[in-house]
Amino acid sequence: MNRQISKGAMVALMVGGTAMTLPLYAETTTTADPKGLMAAQTCAGCHGTKGYIEDSAYVPLAGMPRERFITAMESFADGSRPSTLMGPLARAFTDEEIAAMADYFAAQPKGRAQAIGQAKGQTVEQGED
Amino acid sequence: MNRRDFLKILGASAAGTSTLTAPLARAERAPRVVIIGGGVGGATTAKYLKLYAPQTHVTIIEPKREYQRPYGSSEVITGQIELEDIVISYDDLQTRHGVEFVHEAVESIDYDARQVQTNGGTRLDYDRLVVSPGVSFDFDAIEGLTAELAETKLPHAWDAGDQLLVLKEQLESLPENPTVVIGPPPNPYRCPPGPYERAGLIAQWLLDRGDTEARVVILDPKNGFTTDYTMLHAWNDLYDFNLPEPARSKYSDEEWAQLTVHEKTGPIEWVMGELGGRILSVDAEAMTVEAEAGTFKADMINIIPPLKAGQIAIDQGLADDSGWCPVDQRTFESTRHANVHVIGDSCIAGAMPKSGYAANSQAKVLAIQLKALLAGNEPVEPVFQNTCYALAGNTDVGMFVADVFRMDGDTIARVEEQRYLPFDATETEYRLAALYQHNWMKAFTEDCFS
Repeated sequence: MNRQISKGAMVALMVGGTAMTLPLYAETTTTADPKGLMAAQTCAGCHGTKGYIEDSAYVPLAGMPRERFITAMESFADGSRPSTLMGPLARAFTDEEIAAMADYFAAQPKGRAQAIGQAKGQTVEQGED
Repeated sequence: MNRRDFLKILGASAAGTSTLTAPLARAERAPRVVIIGGGVGGATTAKYLKLYAPQTHVTIIEPKREYQRPYGSSEVITGQIELEDIVISYDDLQTRHGVEFVHEAVESIDYDARQVQTNGGTRLDYDRLVVSPGVSFDFDAIEGLTAELAETKLPHAWDAGDQLLVLKEQLESLPENPTVVIGPPPNPYRCPPGPYERAGLIAQWLLDRGDTEARVVILDPKNGFTTDYTMLHAWNDLYDFNLPEPARSKYSDEEWAQLTVHEKTGPIEWVMGELGGRILSVDAEAMTVEAEAGTFKADMINIIPPLKAGQIAIDQGLADDSGWCPVDQRTFESTRHANVHVIGDSCIAGAMPKSGYAANSQAKVLAIQLKALLAGNEPVEPVFQNTCYALAGNTDVGMFVADVFRMDGDTIARVEEQRYLPFDATETEYRLAALYQHNWMKAFTEDCFS
């Protein structure tokens, strides 16, 4: 389907995400602040599991530098950055939660497969069977 | 099951630790979670549990070998997408995440023994059971409506599947300038903006066909719906829709004054509850619908009957008199049976709507809670979110409701913030919402199933 959209409007609402090189965590939940995980996982329904998303109008959050995430949420909340629904959503989280979410996303490794698993040929750790 | 396994079950202790494996103490072996239902709630719980607690044994019991997503499925009726576009494979859950599937139907649940039995004779022991069976329909509530008619002449098409194709076929066969009746259900129901989006899609489809005198009549038991503030406004612009007088209360005086009063109205009519929109009966032979406001003759009738919890939840004693399942809203543990958690459309979750995003959000919270509970720890304070996108009809015009939810005492409550596009939203904002709606289908599906 053809969807025409004003390019200017799109650019204003999108931001690139250059990932930082960070230590990899085998399992995020053991290292992440539970508040950060609890709040951050609510983003995944649009921005992808653990913030991994490709070829989408949604900004990837995995690996986003901490300060960029916080600045984005703050500017959504005060309206200085235009948005469709991110303004009200950003206002609904506390500063503490936003900081914890920022830590969570900044800590996600670059590769989706490392964070979410390989689709094929992966050895899955099983319990006794 | 072979004879040896059968004897093992016979010899199992009455304490309910019967198992087809070596009888280890519960704490020494991998915890077992069994999930009934492979929809959004069940799939998301399984995936996130494997991400958060990889050692957990996770099995989904789901008769269907592939899923059809109901969210966004009205677009099948009006031809923006094909039925195959809403089909989702379970392959990723199995190969990427190690979730096991039993493609059978649940026969019974033994809550004392913590065991589920399927109609194929499979027995599955669980430490925790998750029940996420979606919805079922109360055909008895509307005289003249039956489950059989829903498969043929009067499809509701509210649970994906072939009824979408029946409705599509009916739409394409309509005479020129037809009357279509759409009957949204009373609250609470799955996908709150959905019936109105469908009305818009069908109105647009008829206009595109050149039917300038077509009617799409919404016979509604309710006086409002999620996204009404933006949807009615968009219809006023797009479809020469005149807002009924009682809808004035949704707008400020200044906003109401800005809405257009059209001399000649377009296809959509919204008969609110207080204007007699509640449907009493339907006659499939005569193709008439009897509402409190009178009789409506139609060429196509799409009544979505009142909803209740998925049949399996009702049959297994998890629902109360309301037809829905009461739970501890922090952990979704059933208040009727211990170690059983009900999520998604079937459960009573305070202010949360019955939507895919809500089921997905509840499932992730449940994965965190199950990890804690299985390890003998306290549950965590939950935070939820819901975002529902909807189209006005014209697929370049989108809107949404977006909410964050937190506990207020023992109930899930909505954080009071603006939920919709503002009244003065620009055309670009409506277009962006539509763009995000289409991106959301893919992103959300991946979050649940991949």
